[in-house]
Amino acid sequence: MQTVHMRSPEGEVREVEATTEQLTILMVAGWHQVPAPEPIAQNPVAPAEEEK
Amino acid sequence: MASINELMEGWGFGKQTAIGTANTSGTIWRHTNLTTKPWAKVPVNEDDKAEIGKGHEFPTQLFKSHYNMPPFEISKYASSEILAWAMSFALGNVTLSGSGPYTYVIVPALGATNATGLELPYFSFVQQIRPGGSAVLDEMLVGCAVKSWKLSIKNSPGRASAMCSAECVTTGQYTSPSGITLPAVYTPHEFNAGMISALTFNGINYLSGGSAKQFVSMEASWENNFRPGFFPGSGSQDGYQIQGRFEWGDRVFAVQFVVRVQYGSTEYSNLINLTTGTATVTVTRDSNNSFTMLIQKMGFNVAELGNTDGIVTLQITGVQLYDPTNGLVTMTIITPQTGICQ
Repeated sequence: MQTVHMRSPEGEVREVEATTEQLTILMVAGWHQVPAPEPIAQNPVAPAEEEK
Repeated sequence: MASINELMEGWGFGKQTAIGTANTSGTIWRHTNLTTKPWAKVPVNEDDKAEIGKGHEFPTQLFKSHYNMPPFEISKYASSEILAWAMSFALGNVTLSGSGPYTYVIVPALGATNATGLELPYFSFVQQIRPGGSAVLDEMLVGCAVKSWKLSIKNSPGRASAMCSAECVTTGQYTSPSGITLPAVYTPHEFNAGMISALTFNGINYLSGGSAKQFVSMEASWENNFRPGFFPGSGSQDGYQIQGRFEWGDRVFAVQFVVRVQYGSTEYSNLINLTTGTATVTVTRDSNNSFTMLIQKMGFNVAELGNTDGIVTLQITGVQLYDPTNGLVTMTIITPQTGICQ
């Protein structure tokens, strides 16, 4: 199932199934499509130093 | 001298980033058009005829006034691409999903939550005759909007059985030469009435069952009733004032259809009983090309007896009611073309 990201008039972003029924209710309530958020880059985890 | 057949037209399938910022060439497609004339530019001059103190009543001077651009109709056989384009630019709230084919879900934008208030997306329109060093016509109109559309379906053979037209307006801003090299003519995936796979109005199924042979024709239309866009700072072109915005006024969604009358026809009882229900029109060419217009709550306002080619018919005028949850109408279009109104 395809999904899209929608933003509410209050700014909430939600990933929803891209069905006509779901999208209609949201869009009529003022939600708009927004680009998918960029994945948050994670810092590489430094290997723990072994205790000597 | 040039033949009108040489006229090449292209316009933005993608939206402009702002009313005064033209489409880039990558977001412009080229189509044929059943409207057989170019989009006219009409600069308007005024004079000092009304001013006294000249010693006579005659005008003595001309002044540049404004660009009064007439509406222009894009008239096409209905296709998944053109319907997606016309509905998106006319209604304004568009959600695109999929990775080919693409699904567009479109509803009328609301001023309270639309990012551009009462303004719809804008596109650029290119018209050319022999572009190049000695072009007869080569210009790009910037800041165009879809004022209205009309979708008609009727009992007839061929592409003319499903037609879509869009009436467009423009600000008066243009560039000439356009600087655009139009691509090859796009081949749209066209529909015809034989491809209709759902046709239900207010609980009456005109495609199968007892009412299957009743349907004659249907016409749906949308009108944005744009307000004039001249205001302080709206801009100028060649010294003539241009419009700086198109804001929708009281929008009108109209649906009329004609059906044959038969024993047990329920259209009239639906009317007098104030019965309401959904209306669905679906045209399916294949898995990559379809169109559905879902009217969320329709009642009948007028049911007028008449005669269509010797058959007794009813012309029904629908009333499209706004449902608080599902709104007025939802268009769902599947098409191979991405980026429409994006």
